[in-house]
Amino acid sequence: MSQSILASFLFLAVAASAHAATARLDIYPNDVQLRTNFARQRMVVVATRPDGVTEDVTAKAKISLADGRIARIENSTVYPTADGQTKLQAQYDGQTAMTNMDVQNFAAARPIGFRTDVMPVFMRAGCNTGACHGSARGKDGFRLSLFGFDPEGDHFRLTRELGYRRINLAQPEESLLVQKSIGAVPHTGGKRFDATSEYAKTLLDWLQAGAPNDASNVPTVESVDIFPRELLLEGAGVKQQMIARAHYSDGSQRDVTNLAVFYSNNDNSAAVSPDGVVTAANRGEAFILARFNTKTVGSQALVLPAGLNYAPPTVPPANYIDELVNAKLQKLRILPSDICSDSVFLRRATIDITGVLPSDEEYRGFLDDKAADKRAKLVDRLLSQKAFAEIWAMKWAELLKVKSNLQASYKSIYLYANWLTEQIANNVPLNQIVRQLLASRGGTFSTPPTNFYQVENDTLKTSENVAQVFMGVRVQCAQCHNHPFDRWTMDDYYSFAAFFSQIGRKEGEDYRETIVFNSGGGEVNHPIGGRAMPPKFLGGAMADCNGKDRRQVLADWLTAPDNPFFAPSVANRVWAHFFGVGIVEPVDDIRVSNPASNPELLQRLGRKLVEYNYDFKRLVRDICLSQTYQRVTQTTASNEADQRNFAHGRVRRIQAEMLRDCVSEVTETKDKFRGLPLGARAVQIADGSTSDYFLETFGRSPRETVCACDVRSEPTLSQALHLLNGDTVQAKIRDGHLVPRLLAEKKSPEEIVKILYVRTLSRDPDAAELAALKKMLEGQPKPVEALEDIFWGLLNSREFCFNH
Amino acid sequence: MERCVCHGNPLSKPSRREFLTVGAAGAMGFVLGDLLRLESLQAATNPAGPAPKAKSLLHIYLPGGMAHQESFDPKPYAPLEYRGSFGTVKTKLPGEVFCEVWHETAAIADKLCIVRSMSHGEAAHERGTHNMFTGYRPSPALQFPSLGSIVSHELGSRADLPAYVCVPNMPNPYAGTGYLSSSYGPFSLGSDPANGGFKVRDLALPGGVDANRFTRRRTALDAVNSHFESIEKADSIAAMDTFYQQAYSLISSQKAREAFNLNAEPAAIRDEYGRNEAGSRLLMARRLVAAGVRVVSVTYGGWDFHKQIVQETKKTVPSLDKAFSALIRDLDRTGLLDSTIVMLSSEFGRTPKINADAGRDHWPRVFSIALAGGGIARGKIVGSSNATAAEPDSEELGPADLFATLYSQMGIDYTKRLMSPGNRPIDIVREGKVRPILLG
Repeated sequence: MSQSILASFLFLAVAASAHAATARLDIYPNDVQLRTNFARQRMVVVATRPDGVTEDVTAKAKISLADGRIARIENSTVYPTADGQTKLQAQYDGQTAMTNMDVQNFAAARPIGFRTDVMPVFMRAGCNTGACHGSARGKDGFRLSLFGFDPEGDHFRLTRELGYRRINLAQPEESLLVQKSIGAVPHTGGKRFDATSEYAKTLLDWLQAGAPNDASNVPTVESVDIFPRELLLEGAGVKQQMIARAHYSDGSQRDVTNLAVFYSNNDNSAAVSPDGVVTAANRGEAFILARFNTKTVGSQALVLPAGLNYAPPTVPPANYIDELVNAKLQKLRILPSDICSDSVFLRRATIDITGVLPSDEEYRGFLDDKAADKRAKLVDRLLSQKAFAEIWAMKWAELLKVKSNLQASYKSIYLYANWLTEQIANNVPLNQIVRQLLASRGGTFSTPPTNFYQVENDTLKTSENVAQVFMGVRVQCAQCHNHPFDRWTMDDYYSFAAFFSQIGRKEGEDYRETIVFNSGGGEVNHPIGGRAMPPKFLGGAMADCNGKDRRQVLADWLTAPDNPFFAPSVANRVWAHFFGVGIVEPVDDIRVSNPASNPELLQRLGRKLVEYNYDFKRLVRDICLSQTYQRVTQTTASNEADQRNFAHGRVRRIQAEMLRDCVSEVTETKDKFRGLPLGARAVQIADGSTSDYFLETFGRSPRETVCACDVRSEPTLSQALHLLNGDTVQAKIRDGHLVPRLLAEKKSPEEIVKILYVRTLSRDPDAAELAALKKMLEGQPKPVEALEDIFWGLLNSREFCFNH
Repeated sequence: MERCVCHGNPLSKPSRREFLTVGAAGAMGFVLGDLLRLESLQAATNPAGPAPKAKSLLHIYLPGGMAHQESFDPKPYAPLEYRGSFGTVKTKLPGEVFCEVWHETAAIADKLCIVRSMSHGEAAHERGTHNMFTGYRPSPALQFPSLGSIVSHELGSRADLPAYVCVPNMPNPYAGTGYLSSSYGPFSLGSDPANGGFKVRDLALPGGVDANRFTRRRTALDAVNSHFESIEKADSIAAMDTFYQQAYSLISSQKAREAFNLNAEPAAIRDEYGRNEAGSRLLMARRLVAAGVRVVSVTYGGWDFHKQIVQETKKTVPSLDKAFSALIRDLDRTGLLDSTIVMLSSEFGRTPKINADAGRDHWPRVFSIALAGGGIARGKIVGSSNATAAEPDSEELGPADLFATLYSQMGIDYTKRLMSPGNRPIDIVREGKVRPILLG
């Protein structure tokens, strides 16, 4: 009996493994180091199938040590038992994974530390969050610094406030600190952990040791790892244990799986338990984050339903962009949409690159062209036009808040905008432009880039803006506390702001001009303790600013080829212009907890930009010639839910300025904007304070903040009313006299309809449309009015307003 | 597809389109009947609850964070550095006082429900604003819709008017549609009713275009659109369609357009409200509510008084005090107060202690809001803060409970789940419940 059960069990096991053969086996973490008797390390073993699906096989795998004397293994955790080195090995399904293990001073006792051991308990148990004791005024009379930004203050409040109640060194277990957290006495926050838990033990050990503060040289956390880095889970309910490991400044490492705070940015696809167990749910993507100390790290988790039928597409990629996009789509088992037709491509690329519509001749010429590389030729021709530079000058002007106001005179803003347009038109590499802006000195008239320091003269704001515009990073949170969802600490924030603490400003000879200079003095002080912060690169090293202009030092660092922020963040902005959504979205909020949908793609575009010597025009060329850009907007069954992986084209409302220019172009009318000649285009408007009703209604950036979100594109009722009844469409059709002119040229009404279609929609009318419109024209004594109404209909159509 | 298009609103637009293309008196009768029938169906959206008390909501939003100490929750017995230098004024409610600058409102306090125990945990403007416009804490994964957009989605529009209007403009991104389709977004007046010659643009057909010509234009437009819409599906296109339908309704209804005509108000009423920003905006809002707009969101002033709170308060409050009390009296007089909830709120309150710049900083732990009408309790103070106005002392009220109560009064089932992108169902209000103490 029992034999037959065993036999059938074996059979099932074989069948299961045959069904899902293992292509690769990994054991995490790699290179385990154990020091002192505190040390231990939890291990996970992950099997990867040939199709990329991962499975947590820790419980099923055989984990062993080459030298069993060095450590013992209990519940997939290794504990040191002797000094020495050995190999840790996992075997499963015929595959083997191995990693090194090194044990030293296994018997030595490590003293308990406040920062190393006690503070992490507060974080893990949620004591120092904003809703609890981390609130600025504390909670119920007890305050901890928010997410532990002030350990010194936390130690003080614990040990020096409230006499013997909060902590009681004579009877440590009677301390409120312990009693409240284990729920032994009433606690608004409830029971945080068991009396028998490791967390309670840590608090007690610390109290028994006399609640010591740390010596000044206590090791700090340098980085945190999360394992596995990538998950591809198949089927709802599948689980994966995560592991977090910290690296300290003294070179030691530590298993912090039980101390890190785990969370998921999308519980709907993959939720994670406090202990780090990920559970797959609905199809989709999630990012699993682990926060320990001030560091947050994340792993990408993709979730697929079980039993999916999928055959990867066989079309070869056009370039590196397609390779990386397709690789991600393959992981998600999503098929991309088809490549768009010539007329769709012509309209899409012309609007995106030059902000106007193709003319009748361009349309006919492109459609008749039989050359295989005609799309590439078109992109090259469009890129060489001045309009391309003007769009990007406008986009940068939005981010740099180029707008006159009480501080910044119209004249200096005008000069600033012209300078910017000139740089981009002359193909000056982007890193040079940014270097000129950041290190600028002189008058706002004579040296226009100095306006960068005139439109914003607050030190902290300036530094926040630089991080957001040129690095795509928002550090604002860290002004008051360590960033809760990213790596930035208050120290980072204030030492980065120190680069902008020595900017001198004075009035020029003309009172409207400001002279910006290096004052050589002035510091930024940390609000806690008041120490002056030395300039330190964000996420980088201390800066040597001795005898130098701090801004110059920063500019050199930021625009150096190896800077990890600048090129990828600029590439992301360029990408977002062509796809309506960034690889990181919002484009100026790159952070650990808001990861790129395709990190490899983002990095590659960044590297390409550096390789192209920051000539983003070449990047645009790569983008426009990729299949990814040329996909139709119609979705397929597998990609209709995709929003972030570029499996299909995206319908986008044309941006206010360009829409305005398109209307003027097709009606052959001229606009007059302040400071520009008659017939200038709306994208050329230099000063953000110059606007009109059309531009504002359609969401022109007010240029009041550096946020990319200031440009709005969602439809509103006001837009519909303005196109229907407003003075733009109606007046422009009348003033342009296009229909009367075409009639005078003896064109038939039907020919005119076709011309209007090509002008506005870059296509010919189909049979049904032609039939419906012809009926309107029949028996009209005055075809002008009927034709102008058709023109009006075209300009009011969804197809005209949207790039698709 | 940018966002999911949720057709939660049974007043679906195609019937309107058909109505307009037919465009004759006979059809009008049919459609109106249809609308009424749908509206009565709509009343049943909250089957468990009673018939909705409120048909509309007039939200007065004070951006920047209005100090509760310098408005509805003064602490005259607290030390000077807490209570500030204003005195108090007796209200119509026995034993209750307001800050002295709100004396006109104090005189109508018997019509209000003042909540002194509003509380949430977000001390940054944008995060606090998010809480007080959506009822949710900000999430990195999802954008939540505003109250106005939820109401628009759930109840649809009335009387050919947009369901949700912002006066004068959309005050912040959280007043938008979040994960819902942009079709449920607000209509912004686009100019300030306080300006001389104020007029909402583009409501009427341009000169030279009569109804016949407009019909021809629409025939042409429909021909072009039908081609595009047969091949493209996107939320933004659908939203634009919806707005075109709304625009047709407005254009064809003189009565609806008249709602935007502030000049139709008698001079005495204009004077009662005050001919200034606060007065004109609140009067405009009252006209819209009376005409059938579901949610009007009025923005007034900048209340971020980190410095010189006394001077700033004296500059900002009096015209609002006058306009707000006039609004409540006016609504009460005309009987509209029974079916209209008025809410005066801010993203948070301000710190208990006066700071070194004679101002107060951000304080979300406890602050005050004023409610009135639509079945909300009349002449009541709900909740209290402690002696220094630093913590809620009783009846702590979070945004979720507040929103649950508001939705429920409007006949919306706040436990319903709406679909967000990725087919993820989201509660209209998460973990909130109706607070009977707020109701009359």
